[in-house]
Amino acid sequence: MTTPQMSIEVPYGDPGADPAPLLRDPDGRLACGADVDDLLEHVADRNATEFDAHQADCPHCRAALTELGDLWTPILALAAIPITAPPAMTATVMRRLAQLLHDVWYTLEPTGSGSIRVAARAVAVLARNAAMRVPGVRIAFGRSTHEPLATLTDTATRHHRYPHTAVGLLGQTAAIELALAVTYGEPIDDVAREVQRRVINELRDTIGLHHVTINVTVDDVVRPS
Amino acid sequence: MEPAIDDAYLVRRAREGYLDAYQVLVERHGPRAYRVALRLLGNREDAEDVTQDALLAAWQALPTFRAEASFATWLCRIVTTRALNKSTRTARTETLNETPDPARGPAEQAEQDLIATAVAEAIDALPAAQRLALILHQFEGLSYSEIAEITDSTVAAVRSHLYRARRTLAITLQDWR
Repeated sequence: MTTPQMSIEVPYGDPGADPAPLLRDPDGRLACGADVDDLLEHVADRNATEFDAHQADCPHCRAALTELGDLWTPILALAAIPITAPPAMTATVMRRLAQLLHDVWYTLEPTGSGSIRVAARAVAVLARNAAMRVPGVRIAFGRSTHEPLATLTDTATRHHRYPHTAVGLLGQTAAIELALAVTYGEPIDDVAREVQRRVINELRDTIGLHHVTINVTVDDVVRPS
Repeated sequence: MEPAIDDAYLVRRAREGYLDAYQVLVERHGPRAYRVALRLLGNREDAEDVTQDALLAAWQALPTFRAEASFATWLCRIVTTRALNKSTRTARTETLNETPDPARGPAEQAEQDLIATAVAEAIDALPAAQRLALILHQFEGLSYSEIAEITDSTVAAVRSHLYRARRTLAITLQDWR
């Protein structure tokens, strides 16, 4: 078995300060008794320049930490490479989820040149965004209808001329459920009514829904920081 | 700045069918899931596939999610399981570095990429449990207890895996000198 060739001189002239051969010894310890695994953990956790009481005064540990720190540099460099998720990943996941949920409910407005269909989920998003603009609303989530009802109606209307139109949204009618978290101290009743008013206006102005039922549930109160 | 809405609230809403609540969770935790998958698989396309599938699987499994658990940890467990199952240990063909350092010349950058790829392959060669512990701790900064929860293990076992992984890597790095 050959001894590893070291290209870096270890100071203090003490073989016990050289961690290189010790790496191959399962019970490797420096001359001072320090465990080579503990020293490796120390540098791996980016503490190579911070020493505990023993290490601060121990030439063996200081030399070994320097050597192991150099050795570990490529790992830290690899860890420092920034990795960003694909920009469209969230949108793709949500689209796949919508497909999974059979989110195919539309409002349908027959016109002279064809039909206009809006996904119920899109209506829910518009409602949510309108609610989020109301002072005192910390967060809002919207859904157009309960899934069990949607499934039942979907089945019942499958052979109709315009399938899916009876669910949640029908013609120019929509039923939206909004769940809100309100900032602590805000008058909840006022906030909820303002949410209803703004969402109704938003859906009327943006997609022409004139008969909208907005069911608001305030289910959390959040303290401001 | 107002405090972020906590994960537990978002999970409750998501379980009730509010898809946009789940979207916030995806935006919040998807990036880490992707990073872990990429570090385990070494291929962006595979990493995105695995991450997307894990996020869909997590949505479907929300009814089984324990309210007292951490969503981030739970999602990490799903993505690592899927990534390790998919991992074929083939040689890496692409570098992790998406944005080369403009201060480096092409030759220096190429050398850095080679080193990074070699280090990543050395990590790939570790046994799965060691590799996973190293990636989650060294690269994602997770604590030993978080890793133990993700891997359904103990803190002592995680520490042991990390000790062995570091030893093996240190020896490999030393041999390159």
